[in-house]
Amino acid sequence: MTGWRQRLVAAVLALAALLLMPELRAEPYIAVQKGLKCVSCHVSASGGGKRTAYGNIYAQTELAARTLDMGKLWTGDVGKYLAFGADLRASYQRVDVPGQPSSKGSDLDELLAYAEIKPFPKYLTLYVDARLRPDDPVIREQYARLALPGGRWSVRAGEFFLPFGIRLQDDDAFIRQVGGINFNTPDSGWEIGYEEGPWSAQLAVTRGTAGGPEVDSGKQYSLRVAHVNSRWRVGGSLNLNDAAAGDRQMQNVFAGLRTGPVAWLAEFDYIIDEGLPGGRRKLMASLIEANYGYRKGHNLKLGFEWFDPDDDVAEDEQNRISLVWEYNPMQFVQARIGYRSYSGIPQNPVQNREQLFAEVHLGF
Amino acid sequence: MLVAVGTVGCGAGNGEGLNIAGRPLEEGSNLALEPTLASIQVNIFDPSCVVCHSGAAAPQGLRLDAASSFVNLVGVASTQDGSLLRVAPGNPDQSYLIRKLEGTASAGEQMPLGAPPIPQSTIDFVRQWINDGALPDSSGPTDVAPVVVSMAPSPDTVSADFPAQITVGFDQEIDASTVNALSFSLWRSGGDGVFGDGDDVAVDAAATTLSATNFRLAIMDLDGVAPIEDFYQVRLQGSGANVVLSVDGRALDGEFDGSFPSGDGTEGGDFVAEFEIRGLQATLDSIQTNVFIPTCAVAGCHSGPSGPNLPTGLDLSSADASFENLVGVQSRQDPSVMRVQAGDANASYLIHKLEGTAAVGGRMPQGGPPLDPDTIAVIRAWIDSGAGR
Repeated sequence: MTGWRQRLVAAVLALAALLLMPELRAEPYIAVQKGLKCVSCHVSASGGGKRTAYGNIYAQTELAARTLDMGKLWTGDVGKYLAFGADLRASYQRVDVPGQPSSKGSDLDELLAYAEIKPFPKYLTLYVDARLRPDDPVIREQYARLALPGGRWSVRAGEFFLPFGIRLQDDDAFIRQVGGINFNTPDSGWEIGYEEGPWSAQLAVTRGTAGGPEVDSGKQYSLRVAHVNSRWRVGGSLNLNDAAAGDRQMQNVFAGLRTGPVAWLAEFDYIIDEGLPGGRRKLMASLIEANYGYRKGHNLKLGFEWFDPDDDVAEDEQNRISLVWEYNPMQFVQARIGYRSYSGIPQNPVQNREQLFAEVHLGF
Repeated sequence: MLVAVGTVGCGAGNGEGLNIAGRPLEEGSNLALEPTLASIQVNIFDPSCVVCHSGAAAPQGLRLDAASSFVNLVGVASTQDGSLLRVAPGNPDQSYLIRKLEGTASAGEQMPLGAPPIPQSTIDFVRQWINDGALPDSSGPTDVAPVVVSMAPSPDTVSADFPAQITVGFDQEIDASTVNALSFSLWRSGGDGVFGDGDDVAVDAAATTLSATNFRLAIMDLDGVAPIEDFYQVRLQGSGANVVLSVDGRALDGEFDGSFPSGDGTEGGDFVAEFEIRGLQATLDSIQTNVFIPTCAVAGCHSGPSGPNLPTGLDLSSADASFENLVGVQSRQDPSVMRVQAGDANASYLIHKLEGTAAVGGRMPQGGPPLDPDTIAVIRAWIDSGAGR
């Protein structure tokens, strides 16, 4: 391909990215494959958000099947004091619910823009994560982050996604949906971070209203600790939400393991809810996921999830099985085609639905 | 990881002994879908919403489990769109819950998130429940005094839209014979925002009855009532001669402190709640205040008194002057039409001038931007309704 054709293709794809842009969320399996912490590729130490310079360079040089020569690599930095990023995710999906007509359609799922202002580079960052979709503009994260000299300790204050378990791309995964800590539920407060060698830890104290206004004096406390090695990682999270309407206590363990070309992710969540009809309710959710990088630019993802809505009620469990092919033909561009099968109690057809989807994801 | 791996062999439940929401049958039973909160809870909220909207950190603070859904929905302002209530009793179109379910909300995704939309035929039951007053579970107590659980318009709200009716919901069925103009009344403050100072004005409703289909909903029909800007007070008698009684003969426990339900736990006590109508109404006084005074009766234009220098002799400096110079008065610029033809806005020269279709002269207001269509529509409504003083 000649240079001008390459530039034309790149321009068309970039334009498509701006028009269709999907959300660029965290891909924790990549961290497992590379033996890196979340913070290596994303601004958030617990995963997600704008890519770092390394994350952008990785996306251009290693993630994609081929790299179009764009000249200088994009790092996200615009000068010394500013950095930007964006994500777009558009999809077509078909959902079949037993006994109901199929529903299908296309949608612009996410259009996100990230901005970092660094008045004191390496130390002070002002960060904004905004959803720009015309029908649904909203600021998702907005915070100031102060890194102390030495780089081990940091503090951030504002509105941000809470640290808890594996920051999966898929908010509909049981472990993200049931726990309620996902990309739809930022919370306001402050967080202390610690990064030293293989250790990564965050402690956050927030309102506990998942995006809603302060409603009582209770707070939400989130602690996430991970030990990251080149081939494996293990971690755990604790979360206590002290609410007038009834406390919620959540805990999980999570792990990652690399076996040759396969990166494994696993998480088990145990949740205790107070204040529900009938009193205390214990919920459990788990995920195990294999990511097979069989060729550069290709990833085959097979996931199994399990959810028990109430440990004291028998025969109410649900499963979800996912098979997703992810293809990164060039830098900043990803195509995903997937199938998900839900299994639940027969009385509820929606718990037994099947989903097919194709997705275009652009992000830098 | 081993724990998670251990769950791989765990299959889905067979649902034996459970309802559609996965709860034991003895707990919620299998209620057919109908426009009641109990049925909506079992058939919609529990199976479709509670998986996310439960627990201390429920999204937007909105817990939808059976113990929480009513108090978190009915009469509660949306945290995503503060101009709307999550559920506005009697008004499903203005209820944020409906917009989220139907995918027309101003923010966020259509609910339920990550799952197929709920069929419109199912949402229609939620609409009907809201339209019927958005009452709580029908299994309300009957061995205690009735309390008020909802009111539309919502207490302490300000609106430009004069309501077509006022609805008040109770936690139990009410004796229809005790709901009448004496026990359920509406007053306005007389313009000073103060009640009980001697100038309160009783609003003469077209009808005040218990709903014929929902015996926990009282309805005051305001058809024909002039939409006057003022503070309004809704009163239901829980004590005195004309008292709202439950079907068991217990008097209303009505004391209201701003949040539902009403009552102090003791039978008796009046329910008193206020709302405000503020903004342009289809009355001459309101049009005078909101349109003629700031827009037309400015210095050098249609400001009084009448005289040769006043444009076309049209004094709009007071409501009385406007009425005298407009209604039934032949236009000087186009003598074939009246300035205001009572009952016929299309034939009124005032409308022609405001809409820029007059045969003579420029569009009013001269030198300023045209009135917005909503404002003209209200003036049209005043004329069409008879252009009363």
